[in-house]
Amino acid sequence: MAVYHILVSHFPIALWLTAYLFIALRTFSDAQIIVSLEKSIWPLILLGSLAGAIAYIIGLQIYPWSAITQSPLGRNHIMLATWTLSYWTVMGILGFKLRRHLFEGAQKWIAFTLGSIGALVVVITGTLGGSLTGTPSLVTKSLSYVGWNVYTTFYIPTWMLAVFVLGAIVLVVLGFAGRRYKN
Amino acid sequence: MRRTYLAVSVAIFAGLLVAAWVTHDTGIKINDPENNIFIPTELTTTLQVKASYDNENIYFRYRWPVVRPSLFHDVLVYRDGNWEREKGGVGPSENFLNEDRVSMMIDDGSVPLFSRYGGYITIGDRLTTFTGAPKGGDERTKYLPDTRTDPNNFDSVKAESDLDILREAGYFIDLWQWRSSRSNPVGLGDDGFVAEERSGDQGVGPYYTNWDKELNQPKFMFDQQVTGQNALNFDDVVAGNYNFDDAYYLSDATAIAFDPNIEWKNGDTIPRRMLRAEEGSRGDVVQPSASRWEDGYWDVTLVRQLDTGNPLDDKIFRDKGSYDLAFAVFRNASTMRWHYVSLPMSLGLETDAQLVASKFAGDAPGWEQDWTEVKMFYPGQVSWGRLTDPKTHPGADKIAERVPVAYRHSEKQLALYGVEVEFAGAIYNQWLLTLFASLLLIVAMGININLLITRRES
Repeated sequence: MAVYHILVSHFPIALWLTAYLFIALRTFSDAQIIVSLEKSIWPLILLGSLAGAIAYIIGLQIYPWSAITQSPLGRNHIMLATWTLSYWTVMGILGFKLRRHLFEGAQKWIAFTLGSIGALVVVITGTLGGSLTGTPSLVTKSLSYVGWNVYTTFYIPTWMLAVFVLGAIVLVVLGFAGRRYKN
Repeated sequence: MRRTYLAVSVAIFAGLLVAAWVTHDTGIKINDPENNIFIPTELTTTLQVKASYDNENIYFRYRWPVVRPSLFHDVLVYRDGNWEREKGGVGPSENFLNEDRVSMMIDDGSVPLFSRYGGYITIGDRLTTFTGAPKGGDERTKYLPDTRTDPNNFDSVKAESDLDILREAGYFIDLWQWRSSRSNPVGLGDDGFVAEERSGDQGVGPYYTNWDKELNQPKFMFDQQVTGQNALNFDDVVAGNYNFDDAYYLSDATAIAFDPNIEWKNGDTIPRRMLRAEEGSRGDVVQPSASRWEDGYWDVTLVRQLDTGNPLDDKIFRDKGSYDLAFAVFRNASTMRWHYVSLPMSLGLETDAQLVASKFAGDAPGWEQDWTEVKMFYPGQVSWGRLTDPKTHPGADKIAERVPVAYRHSEKQLALYGVEVEFAGAIYNQWLLTLFASLLLIVAMGININLLITRRES
């Protein structure tokens, strides 16, 4: 299954990163041709999510769950793949619901920031997959320079888990509180 | 106002990501001596090796960093009328009561997989000092997989006749050892093996226990006339105030029978090991002279006959021959599994290999060749059973295909993996919780953005 996972994984990577390219172009340009690309962003993202879901499912078939979750690199790849898939799916839904509004005024910088985070997560997920199959890249090494050795499991301490849950609640509350205002 | 909410939300989201990055990998990997868990501060180090031989003998020279040499192993300390044993425990000994060591495993190709996986193949079922190992009883030492009917069951040792056949076929690993306390002062090494157990070769080893069980007292003490003392001082032992010029060890030359009538005082200290001349096959590995620690490094040389005449105990070296080695060093007063090990490396006697032994003429090697640097790493608690089980190791299929460990893993990587295995259950749970919490955060951020993005009229 490993070869099929590798094969299929390149589709969501290409689709999501193309979407990010369009987001970046739209952020910095109002040219007509760039504006027309805007409409293809959310379909690209959601197509990527579909392909990503398939790659994710195939990926989970490569090793027994008990084995892959004993490997720090395996755990990290699963975590990053889960983040990537969920993150871009949320981005796709936002793109579908908000369309051109995402790029209105200063909001385009929000779109650009979120897209940049998504692109970064895609790149890290891919490089972890490469490391898992025995072909680590410079990205793998670079991550250790900024504080994360990918051969150790990425987990956060219990108190930070609580902060995450609290943060999630605060974000939802802020959303409902803020939407009362028109601008 | 809505934009302010949005900006604050994005700042919170980004802040949480940064906080997660900064705090990750904390809160779990905590030393737990009760469960035999201690993680060394340094996970890797370097051993330097040279090898030379002539028509009779083969010499290995080892050099590795040690901040403070540990000249003692366990000692007997007099306190209020009793002699009490003081020794190191889990991890490094605060009192420096674990000796420094270097050991070398040797195979000539007779042990399948040793050249690919080195010492990993000797780490069997719940060995002594592993978390969860049975307490009490005999030490559960390293062993080779084929000496068991079930390699993952320590107690399933094959019948003596089967073990004899394996030994005749060369299915054992030669094990040389040097100990800073229990062999070095008298210029000896220690010749052993790993097969159905890790043990010494036939004969007499370089030390025995200085304790009279019946009389509950040491058997020997220092000879006042030779050493100027009957005992050492415990505070000086702990402080490292004894050096190579002092008579800090017991041997025929420095010891006499223990005299209980001496007015012993609290803190008087006698080594718990009596050193002696070796006999038989166990005495094959010796030193040209007692080794010394200098400028932060042990510099140790061991020598053995190429052909000891003990083929059932030793791997016989031949001119132009190729062999496989794996090393371990013990440093900073740590013992048992708190050591640094190497991956297997090839040795060639004047033939191409990772470590080439050069032939010399004359009385002793000149050591003109460069050092071969060997990366050493803390191995954690990784057993052969775990590595070969597809349910616990994603690379088990690669081992089945005989892919060498060095092809897929670096020493640093193996050290990190070894540490993670020591906390496997706790890390797995925390990882799952992190996964769910981060998913929650992503969804919450999506809801937030959807609610706060301003939609201008067309």
